[in-house]
Amino acid sequence: MSKALNLAGGYLKSILGVLVFLLAWEIASRIGLINNTFIPPFSKVVVNLAELIADGTLFHHMAISLMRSLAGLGLGIGVGVPLGLAIGQIPAVERFLGSLLETLRQTSVLALIPVFILLLGLGETSKIAMIFWGTLWPILLSTIGGVKGVDPTYITASRSMAETRVGVFLKVILPAALPSIFTGVRLAATGAVMLLIAAEMVGASSGLGFLIYDYQVKYQIPKMFAVIAVFSIMGLVLNFGFVNAEKRLIRWRPE
Amino acid sequence: MNRMTVTGKRDIIYSDQLGLVYKIRNAKKNGEPNFLTALKDVTLGVHKGEFLSIVGPSGCGKSTFLYVLAGLIKKTSGAAYIDGEEITGPALNRGIIMQQYALFPWRTVQKNVEYGLEVKKLPKQERARVADEFIELVGLSEFSNRYPYELSGGMKQRIAIARALAYDPEVLLMDEPFAAVDEQTRGFLHAELLRIWEKTNKTILFVTHSIDEAIFLADRVAIMSASPGTIREVLDIDLPRPRSEEMKSSREFARYRSFIWQHLQAPTDITREVLTERGRILAAEPNEVAI
Ligand SMILES: Nc1ncnc2c1ncn2[C@@H]1O[C@H](COP(=O)(O)OP(=O)(O)OP(=O)(O)O)[C@@H](O)[C@H]1O
Ligand SMILES: [Mg+2]
Repeated sequence: MSKALNLAGGYLKSILGVLVFLLAWEIASRIGLINNTFIPPFSKVVVNLAELIADGTLFHHMAISLMRSLAGLGLGIGVGVPLGLAIGQIPAVERFLGSLLETLRQTSVLALIPVFILLLGLGETSKIAMIFWGTLWPILLSTIGGVKGVDPTYITASRSMAETRVGVFLKVILPAALPSIFTGVRLAATGAVMLLIAAEMVGASSGLGFLIYDYQVKYQIPKMFAVIAVFSIMGLVLNFGFVNAEKRLIRWRPE
Repeated sequence: MNRMTVTGKRDIIYSDQLGLVYKIRNAKKNGEPNFLTALKDVTLGVHKGEFLSIVGPSGCGKSTFLYVLAGLIKKTSGAAYIDGEEITGPALNRGIIMQQYALFPWRTVQKNVEYGLEVKKLPKQERARVADEFIELVGLSEFSNRYPYELSGGMKQRIAIARALAYDPEVLLMDEPFAAVDEQTRGFLHAELLRIWEKTNKTILFVTHSIDEAIFLADRVAIMSASPGTIREVLDIDLPRPRSEEMKSSREFARYRSFIWQHLQAPTDITREVLTERGRILAAEPNEVAI
């Protein structure tokens, strides 16, 4: 019982900062320290969030947003991991693609938004393509890094036991590179959420990013903040989920 | 235990004037490749079932020699044979235990030991049974399901030995396996290794730069010299078995020690001749040293 209390106490302490921030927000907005037309009190945001949940608006748009990010991320993983493995493993592929990829990587995805829209229109394809582009790079780079960073003594040990080339790749290089690949996917996923907002603010008629933009244009500030809050929570959940999945999947490291 | 130090193809391992030259790229900015002779005319026969130590200064090519025997790097000249067949690549009749433990961190102790058995395509149950047996042999049964990061250095080394023994190679090639553990643990590991060696009847090639370690463990000690790396002498160690710590303070042991020490010191061929003379003088004393 006291253990449970302790646990609850510890949890409370860890979110104390957030609580203080929200309280300060609430008070500052109520006493007029900050302009409450632009920054309404937090309680008002909560009430609006409840409304958005109740009338189904939030989940409708959230589902669309999630579909887009998952599709983009899935493509990013599907292309980035195999391509990264090939580049990291086969010197000829690296020589062929190295400088091209280096140039493309430096090209900001935000700068490319108009290009995507011109080429792919305003529909789902362009949004998924943008997220794919943005998620590809962290996944690709960390996969290459992972493959190249494999401790050569593991490969030697495996080879000394007369392992085949395919065996060395599947049973040594792949598992050794996995933590790095996973980190890339986590970075990509959190980045995908950000990209999504940008993509949906530019010429979309659905999704959470569109909703923020739409409420801003329509001057429904509390609702706008409600959706922003949802984004923050989504980011938190995503990161928490990935860190936990990583712990579960890769149990062979300390901590 | 009177063994002749002659070599020949009847030996389980026979290295015939083996040479290895490393090509060093980018040594100079002008792109000219540089060459480094790591091994030159290395001739050595290893008898079946014996424990042979190789001592030599750092950089004399000990690891290189073991890697060539393991089939991990290609020789430049000469040849090396196992059971009369030329060594052309890695195979499961040789097991190498590297200077770094090289356990796979993503595999449990059990799965590490099973690795070679997977390559051998043993069925799952059989793999588990054999792995259990060898983890037991090195006395770490209760750690079967742990990951390498949870083990001490000495434990890791014992698991590396179990992994190499499990697929039943004829020869174990050990590269300074105990260099990174403390003195006390090393003593314990020596006793363990000798026990396992006697139990499994393997042939062991043991590389070390510790003279005492080389003598204590071995039937014979091969002395290597640097630049270019070559075998200078092979010395029979006629200490009774089982070996005990007290032997290290015996007169014979001291004699072996100083013989090896002097040979390691000798930098040129001229001093070498003188030293061989001294070796004979040593050998003339009671409990003779065979050269
Ligand atoms: N891959 C390599 N490429 C080029 N030169 C190498 C390579 N590996 C080793 N050498 C050189 O070959 C020589 C022999 O190296 P080796 O590792 O076999 O020595 P060693 O006797 O095992 O030394 P130590 O006792 O320090 O482990 C050294 O001069 C080393 O610099
Ligand atoms: Mg070495």
